Amino acid sequence: MKPAMLTRLRASATQGAMRRANFLLAAPLILSSAGCVQLSAPEKPIEINLNINIRQEVVVRLQQDVRDLIKENPGVF
Amino acid sequence: MSRRLKLILAAGIGLAAVLGTTTAYAMMQDASAELRASGQVGEQADGYLGLVGSAPAAIRAQVDAVNIKRRAYYTDLAAKRAAKIEEVAATTACELFRTKVAPGQYYRLPDGVWRQRDGNTPIPLPSYCG
Repeated sequence: MKPAMLTRLRASATQGAMRRANFLLAAPLILSSAGCVQLSAPEKPIEINLNINIRQEVVVRLQQDVRDLIKENPGVF
Repeated sequence: MSRRLKLILAAGIGLAAVLGTTTAYAMMQDASAELRASGQVGEQADGYLGLVGSAPAAIRAQVDAVNIKRRAYYTDLAAKRAAKIEEVAATTACELFRTKVAPGQYYRLPDGVWRQRDGNTPIPLPSYCG
């Protein structure tokens, strides 16, 4: 009688483990499908507007002012 | 008794206000650094922050807020130095690429492509950066 009960218990334990395993297997599927939804393309292309001609001498002239500006406003830059 | 209670209440409200302002100030202090660190925002060659992909509305709002402030500073400095706003902005971008974009963070050169800074390798700067 005793071994039979143990076997029963074991069988049910295994089933429980399998159920858990099934859930664990399903979890990545659910998560990955949720990830897919978020991977949609951006609504509109972001424009970058730098088609003006920047001259190096202007950059050099402004450099020190810009460095001060960055240093004085750490939250903005 | 009731007067004392009122005093304690007033002190409590005052303290809460001070703490709240301090926290808000501390958050503002490194808003742009935190945005860059989020991986959803990068530095652009035009001197403004940009969204790397489709970012949530909260991030977009923060980026807009920072960029509005930047625009104001650029306008100011441009007037002071008799330069164009775009020139001040581009010069700032050169400097931010040099000093503020950390390894793994995003940047965008005039070619419009988002790239990630590779380790400690400096970002290849546009020629006008000097």
